[in-house]
Amino acid sequence: MTPIPATPVAAPRGRWVQRRAVAAVSAGLVVAASLLGLAPGSAFASSHREAPLTAADPSIDTTDFYAFVSPDKPDTVTFISNWIPFEEPNGGPNFFPFATDASYIVNVDNDGDAKADIKFRWTFKNIDKRANNSFLYNNGVVTSLDDPNLLFRQVYTLEKWTNSGKWQQLVTDAPVAPSRVGQASMPDYKKLRDQASLSLNAGVKSFAGQADDPFFADLRVFDLLYGADLSEVGQDTLAGYNANTLALQVPRKDLALNNNNARNPIIGTWATAERDRVQINGFAGNNSDDSRGNASINKYGAAGKDRNNTYDDNSRYSDKNANKNKDSRGYRANRDNDQVQVSRLGNPLVNEVVVPAGLKDEFNSLSPEKDGKIKELVDRVLYPELPKLIEGIYKIPAPPGPRNDLAEIFLTGITTKGGGPIKADLNSQLNNTDVSANKFVASEELRLNMSVSPVAKPNRLGVLAGDLQGFPNGRRLTDDVIDISIQAMEGAAASGKLVDALATGDKVNANDHRFFANFPYLALPNGQGVNTHVSVSTNKAGFLGGGYGGGAPMAVSGLAALVAMTGFLFSWYRRRDRTAVAAAASGSGTATMNLTGAPTPNGSDSGGARATGVTQRPAANSPAAPASSLPPSSVPPPPPPSFGGHRRRNGEDSSLVEEKSGTDRGDPGNDKPDDDGYIII
Amino acid sequence: MRPALTRLRLIARPRLVLAVGSTALALVVAGGVLGRGGPTPAGHRNVSGDNVAVRVPTTDLLAATIARQQKRLRAVPGDWATWAALSSTYLERARVTADPTYYPKAEGAANESLRRRPDGNADALIALGTLANARHDFATARDRARAAIAVNGSSSAAYGVLTDALTQLGDGPGATAAVQRMLDLRPGLAAYARASYDLEQRGRVADAVDLMRAALDDAVDPHDAAFCHSQLGDLAWQVGDVAGAQREYSAALAADPAAIAPLRGRARTAAATGRTEAALAAYADLTRRTPTPTDLLEYADLLRVAGNATRAAEQVQLATAANGLFTANGGSDGITAAAIALAAGHPDQAVDAARAEWSRRQFVDVADSLAWALHHDGRNAEALPYAQRVVATGTHAAGYAYHLGMIELALGLRDQARTDLTRAVQTNPAFSPVDGPAARQALAGLGPA
Repeated sequence: MTPIPATPVAAPRGRWVQRRAVAAVSAGLVVAASLLGLAPGSAFASSHREAPLTAADPSIDTTDFYAFVSPDKPDTVTFISNWIPFEEPNGGPNFFPFATDASYIVNVDNDGDAKADIKFRWTFKNIDKRANNSFLYNNGVVTSLDDPNLLFRQVYTLEKWTNSGKWQQLVTDAPVAPSRVGQASMPDYKKLRDQASLSLNAGVKSFAGQADDPFFADLRVFDLLYGADLSEVGQDTLAGYNANTLALQVPRKDLALNNNNARNPIIGTWATAERDRVQINGFAGNNSDDSRGNASINKYGAAGKDRNNTYDDNSRYSDKNANKNKDSRGYRANRDNDQVQVSRLGNPLVNEVVVPAGLKDEFNSLSPEKDGKIKELVDRVLYPELPKLIEGIYKIPAPPGPRNDLAEIFLTGITTKGGGPIKADLNSQLNNTDVSANKFVASEELRLNMSVSPVAKPNRLGVLAGDLQGFPNGRRLTDDVIDISIQAMEGAAASGKLVDALATGDKVNANDHRFFANFPYLALPNGQGVNTHVSVSTNKAGFLGGGYGGGAPMAVSGLAALVAMTGFLFSWYRRRDRTAVAAAASGSGTATMNLTGAPTPNGSDSGGARATGVTQRPAANSPAAPASSLPPSSVPPPPPPSFGGHRRRNGEDSSLVEEKSGTDRGDPGNDKPDDDGYIII
Repeated sequence: MRPALTRLRLIARPRLVLAVGSTALALVVAGGVLGRGGPTPAGHRNVSGDNVAVRVPTTDLLAATIARQQKRLRAVPGDWATWAALSSTYLERARVTADPTYYPKAEGAANESLRRRPDGNADALIALGTLANARHDFATARDRARAAIAVNGSSSAAYGVLTDALTQLGDGPGATAAVQRMLDLRPGLAAYARASYDLEQRGRVADAVDLMRAALDDAVDPHDAAFCHSQLGDLAWQVGDVAGAQREYSAALAADPAAIAPLRGRARTAAATGRTEAALAAYADLTRRTPTPTDLLEYADLLRVAGNATRAAEQVQLATAANGLFTANGGSDGITAAAIALAAGHPDQAVDAARAEWSRRQFVDVADSLAWALHHDGRNAEALPYAQRVVATGTHAAGYAYHLGMIELALGLRDQARTDLTRAVQTNPAFSPVDGPAARQALAGLGPA
């Protein structure tokens, strides 16, 4: 083959040169020869304006939301919202800022009307000292949050709003813990974390920054539906990834209705993100009817400038807009103007399991007060798809609808006041003494009874296993929400029995990193890229061709995952006569929920779980079957029958005490326990 | 020796043999089209994390997304949602690389998604609508978008496809309504960028700049940042701010060194400000990367100005070949066909092509194309209303005013011609290396008012 001098130029073209065919050109070859490789349909069109359609916008994607009574400060509640899924530690290397044009909000509804009574709002601004067109994040070792070597950083303002009307600043220009970009750059990351963990007035603590993604699950259970090898399930496929966290600790009296957490200990809560509404129609633009056809002459002055836009040609691109819409402190102003809600999260897995595909976008923009009016949404709770799929595939009978037990879990809170089948009063605002029932509006919120005190050894299955501090009573970092959701969907909350066949869950029962004993509890961000050592074989078959490297898991459709997981569990099922929990033992056949002074599942707690302001009552309208209650919490749950997860210790739910494996990725090596050590929350 | 021809031969499949002109320069086309493997995620230079100075973010997010989706689908071929998402990612990649070989892949992935989930599959419809827009089949794109909206009325992306289609079909109010809906559903880069274009078309350039800056603020993927910078450069250029435009193009290339649009911008600004050698080199580079007919024609114009008629003719032939390929693939682009016909000296054919396009869609660019073709065919009275219609929208491009002015001049409407030609050169004094001098010459001939 003779290389033919290229015309018109043959200059190197940067890094793509080696990747692309560089055609040599000669005035003798036929065009056709050059076109052989084109598949039909792949010709150029002349360019018209094509803008990104699915631009990456992860900073407003909320991934998980937690709310729990603080284990070390039981008179406070901690909220944790996580943003930006699948942050790969320095795999790029990358850093992950919060959006400066969004508001991040934690909403609290303490009277049950499905409207926020208290909001906490984070807004961010950048402090960017990078040179023009430089992408350096840091320029040397970073030893403090205000280290000059940290060229790009963020600060935030945290505000509180109550339904009395005004926003109150809790802190301004608070530092954000940076993205962990490497051991050499940040040799003591724990110090940076500590500097970013702030104690504010009135018992409030605040943290914003990167952390290990605490969600744990094996998303590869998908493979099961398609005959894949099961041997690898049991690994936390989210291990090694980071998330951006907003953590907030607030005294519970400041959250309770009428500031009285004795009478009104129950709140509903959810996280949202908002952006300013932008209006472009309604402008008297030049194509308005009265100017149409009027030629254009009258729009231009003698100098030929556009009278509609007064600008200086030489200066208009030099940060003309830099301070536009900014307040005096440099934050975007007008946060209280018309806002568009772009993200919403309360209960885990709702968007995956409950909300139908065509409503997911709608749900993210929906305010909770409207939930009950969306019939499709309510129907998906009352007549869930998941148990039917499981029945169809695995012959585990689906409980008949309407599933009012699920309505309690997702839409009202667990209460006897709504006539639902769960004979307990746990976490509905209806059980707040000062709530008027006629103002109660069913809505999807993560509901928390703040009076249930922390236990020393939480059960990962939470309420279903008798540990009343866990999901769906709020959500702790250690709650195994995937396993709980499957059990709940299969009717465990109403029957009082765990579905034994499903008891092992996804075999990932705890996060790969331990949590800290105190605020903000989360493990430090991972320091080494998840996929650094992963290579994906090239496969050019079909539409998958391309041979790209990398192998990050992707966000998955939870429903399919859960179905697949069920199949996995079923295949591992070993029949056991032992029911998950003993049926109610009140003797009369009427289930009674003992919420007061409930010992911990393992019986080792000194009786910390106390519910005040929550009535304990016989279930007046209980079905005949005594099993139709929550399990009495005095009965310890059984250990799961089997598990393959390599991070779990046999029979112990609180597997956080175990060392992380560190087999498939590097350990940060820096997040040793501090003096407080680790605890389980 | 570069591996190009080897690779070309390896890839070549005798599926489509076209005799589209005989110039071998069309191999340039092949060079631009063929052989693009998946780009390597570039971040591995610093992958250890032990570099104290850290460059961010260099990972190719689109490539990583494609890899992730492919991995998922290998494990879970039934995941219809991921099939649709993969299709959309391919289309984003086709857009940022200007590489149409992703189109068939995108089409296959979307159809696979639809096959596995025929009903209620808005995501696949959105992908197919995006593809139709990319192929200039705007009516199909509009229909796909509406079908997607029927399934998911809150899909910002579906309204994005609808916006793009209605814009190109000439339904300005419909496009504005669609992009407003997009803004109401999910404010963010995709909506801001479209809203910016909407405002720009209505002559609200400063507002368009504001929104494109808002889009830039939201850019995470360097490709998206490069897009926003390029658009800001074009907006600056549109009003004659050459320095501002060049700053933005540089920023775009800093974000994405492989970006095409800022190269085009650099070539244009260099050509129009008299840096002909640099401009020629830039056009040569640009057209070799992506032999888009319009770029080839601009290149030909510049070569002609530089006195190289032979090379200019070659570029016109190449443009003809590229457009012929597009047509042979079922595409239809009357604007390009008209421009090629004009460049080749066939104004009557240009009129036919532009008129055919006008019958399909009444977009400003089509009106401008038809007016200019009619002008060259000596039918200025017919041309005038089309040219007036363009300018009446409020759009600011100097080229539109120039076309109107020249048509008016040909009709003896000296005052109007003077006004419009003056506006052209004052809006952007260097709007074209060919038309700019022509406008000034015409103005000189017209004399003072």
